[in-house]
Amino acid sequence: MIRILSPVLIGIAALAPLVLPTYFVSVATQILIFAVLAMAVDLLAGFTGRTPLCHGAIFGTSAYVTIYAASVVGWPIGLAMLTGILAATCLAMVFGLLAVRTSGVYFLLLTLALGLIVWGVCLRWTEITGGENGLRAQLREDLGLSTRQLYVAVLVTVLCATAAMWRLVRSPFGLTMRGIKEGEGRMASLGYDVTLHLLIAFTASGFFAGVAGALYAVFNDFASPSIVQLSSSVQGLLMAIVGGVGTLFGGFVGAFVIIAMEQTVSAFTERWPTVLGLTFILMMIFAPEGVVGKARLLLKR
Amino acid sequence: MFEAPVLSLSNITVAFGALKAVHDVSLKLRLGERRAVLGPNGAGKTTLFNAITGSTRASSGRVVFEGVDMTRMSPQRRAHLGVARTFQITNLFAELSVLENMRLAARGLSWRKFSLMGRDRLSHTEAAQVEAALAASHLVGREATVVREMSYGEQRQLEVAMALVGTPRMLLLDEPAAGLSPAERTHVAAIIRNLPRNLTVVLIEHDMDLALGLVDSVTVMQNGRVIVEAAPDEIRNHPLVQEVYLGKPHGVGEAEQEGRANAHTV
Amino acid sequence: MTKLLTSRRSLLKSSAAAAGAIGMPSLVRAADAARPIRIGLLAPLTGVIAAGGKELVEGFQMYWEQVGMMAGTRKVEIVIEDDASNPDTALQKARRLVEQANVDFLFGNILANTGLAVANYVKNTGTPYFIPVIAADDLTQRTRIPNVIRVAGYTASQTAHPLGDWAYKQGYRHVATISQDYTFGHEQCGGFAQVFTEAGGKIVQQFWHPLNTSDFSSYLGQLVTAGADAIFAMETGADSTRFIQQYASFGLKGRIPLLGSMNATDQSVIRTMGADAEGIISCAHFAEGSTDPVTVKFVADYEKRYQKLPSIYGFSHYSGAMWVDEALGKIRGNVEDRALFLKTVLATELVGSPLGKTVKLDAYGNPVYDVMVRKVVKRPDGKLWNEPFETYPQVSQFWKYDPETYMKQPPYSRTFQGIKA
Repeated sequence: MIRILSPVLIGIAALAPLVLPTYFVSVATQILIFAVLAMAVDLLAGFTGRTPLCHGAIFGTSAYVTIYAASVVGWPIGLAMLTGILAATCLAMVFGLLAVRTSGVYFLLLTLALGLIVWGVCLRWTEITGGENGLRAQLREDLGLSTRQLYVAVLVTVLCATAAMWRLVRSPFGLTMRGIKEGEGRMASLGYDVTLHLLIAFTASGFFAGVAGALYAVFNDFASPSIVQLSSSVQGLLMAIVGGVGTLFGGFVGAFVIIAMEQTVSAFTERWPTVLGLTFILMMIFAPEGVVGKARLLLKR
Repeated sequence: MFEAPVLSLSNITVAFGALKAVHDVSLKLRLGERRAVLGPNGAGKTTLFNAITGSTRASSGRVVFEGVDMTRMSPQRRAHLGVARTFQITNLFAELSVLENMRLAARGLSWRKFSLMGRDRLSHTEAAQVEAALAASHLVGREATVVREMSYGEQRQLEVAMALVGTPRMLLLDEPAAGLSPAERTHVAAIIRNLPRNLTVVLIEHDMDLALGLVDSVTVMQNGRVIVEAAPDEIRNHPLVQEVYLGKPHGVGEAEQEGRANAHTV
Repeated sequence: MTKLLTSRRSLLKSSAAAAGAIGMPSLVRAADAARPIRIGLLAPLTGVIAAGGKELVEGFQMYWEQVGMMAGTRKVEIVIEDDASNPDTALQKARRLVEQANVDFLFGNILANTGLAVANYVKNTGTPYFIPVIAADDLTQRTRIPNVIRVAGYTASQTAHPLGDWAYKQGYRHVATISQDYTFGHEQCGGFAQVFTEAGGKIVQQFWHPLNTSDFSSYLGQLVTAGADAIFAMETGADSTRFIQQYASFGLKGRIPLLGSMNATDQSVIRTMGADAEGIISCAHFAEGSTDPVTVKFVADYEKRYQKLPSIYGFSHYSGAMWVDEALGKIRGNVEDRALFLKTVLATELVGSPLGKTVKLDAYGNPVYDVMVRKVVKRPDGKLWNEPFETYPQVSQFWKYDPETYMKQPPYSRTFQGIKA
């Protein structure tokens, strides 16, 4: 029953925004993009047990590079996006080299510090990044896409990225990642080079964060230090946690919950971060496994 | 013992600060030999295992396996050379199924583990190995069970199965029967007894009766040193062994390096 | 949703005044006439500049209250959104105002990065966007967007240019600058430095400090030894308060004259300060201590309404609202015809400005002002304010340069300060 119903429901959910007013189409586009970021975070947090706090920086780097390449250098947008993704992937590899030997709170703090470096560079390297004013472009206009067309383009890209991530976590490498999460020492004695595998996982995760960042560049036409700062990384992580760490698809639910909540709550009060914080605390008390995780548990019962 | 030893330890010392958990230990194993390492808590048995598998590096001395000096190698390099082990404290992937645990074990030595987009299946040879290892460990039919939901005895069996699946050349068993009921012990003993004869086995075991019935030779350790090396039938009446196991304990204030439970000590 | 949003978020409810709709000229279609003009006001109500954001709303609110929430002959409805002092939030809220709340035009923002993000967005939608506080030079210079107009606003370097000239005329030949390290600071310092050095002065040293610097001692030590006749400080908000206090407590006050950027001695800063701030010279188009009767009345009204003297944020949004209202009056509230609306705003001369003088826009959509040299003094009741004592008439964003030539030089940045060696 669920097997038949779920693809239908997902299809309806994916196409529903097209009949909504354009503002909601924009919100839906944003949800899709952040879902990819949340899933990229989940690849590390949920499958290797390493919780990163630098994915906002990787995501933002991709957006910055995309906008820079397209609007300053003047490359075609497709090429600019690929360059953005490549830059994010390389950055993730460098971060990975520095971070994967650590774990737990040290990994968290080290990735946090690495993210802060990116933020500092974006803020201070004014000649390239535009400093606190950021970089602006008209990518959407240049592509000639309406809000609805952009949504469809993003939807298709996001579905491809999601399929790739799903393939990844179900691959032999995916099992390796879960093995590392469950028992690093044991993996080594079985012949696995844990550091190397974590580096690959980190780089792959950075690649997907880069995909999200390049899409965001086109969606937002704008990149400023606020997208590479810590709160951006925290937001990606929160989405992964709310959706359910280790569930992958939870990224969609987490992005939806947080962005929808921001949209509705901020219409009533400026204190919406407080409301978000309280919701998060309640969530951690009553459903620490996240929305999708909890649903799975209930379905099993 | 004229043939070249499979494993040769010379003057191995493992020091943690001032404490020498393993102190100047030398021993040699021949191909297919089954050796028990006995001794009280804190004697340095598991630390010696760690020095052999690479989880801990020896502070001094040499570890040579099949003619290759692996003193400074990482655990995964040693695994590639054919050294497999089980863990004294169950060290399985608790949230994964038996088959997934076996897959991880089977793939540890193959390039397939790097497949990012491939399907999570085993090759025919790997599948055959897994099947054989599960059969040898009496776990056929339990493939889909999540490890966390298995009995402790079954988890010990899976430990052995995982160590066997890569067709290792030497197997280190760290208290495979610890914490098991008498019936389960007999079961594990049978599994060990039926291991292929060309596999060199080193066994740490507290249960002297169980150990002596399984091995060709015995090393007894105390305070990080080897105090006796002898055949099983000489061990029981050996005065030094009796002193260690029955007499005045030396172990007052002895460091609990190996952090184990004492419940089942003989 | 839209309705709900409006009713919950509107600080200002349009008073009925249906009578005003009677006698509507045929120019405006009946349906449009019945509909109120809806303004989207973006203000940083949270985040680093939240205090300024509240004053922005106050100034805007005060104007529309005074005219009974009517523009031309149509009711006015204001939808307020918090930009959280963050450009991404500002962009998102602008999208919401335009696409969901269907506002006729946007107003507001304080931080340059939020304004630039919104301007980039309206470039595509064509929504008119009025920015009385967003001072980023290029928005009305090199990268002008036709539907972004700086009503009652100013460019960052506009009031810094005359201060450079004034400083030279005081006999200062060596000046050191200290500034917050971001574009607004780079542009103000650049404006000062270019005019001052072109007159023959010398910038002996420039210091750039991060936003939210709490301890200025290392900079003050270097300022003392820089060999300057005067110091130009470009500061805003809490940085300005701290800098002025530490300047005094390190004994520099009275030793080296302190010139401030217009924000450095704004009411939002000196309102809570004491003698430390007295005597600082700055240049601005607005001075709350002016003796012009129109300004005196505005300041008194504002003080009565909000129990404080108006800051640049409140003043600018009050004047900006008036500007757009005057334009709407001319076209009978026909905000639907965007081209006409924008053209009219650009052509409108602000007659009723609290400055007491008519203000007009230059060809690039930026106002031309009589810029006053002001000094912080204590009023009889003990409150500090800026009193003007000299005027530079008709100062445009291009100072005395030819616009085309001026825009050929690069925008001011940390590396380009227009300094003539």
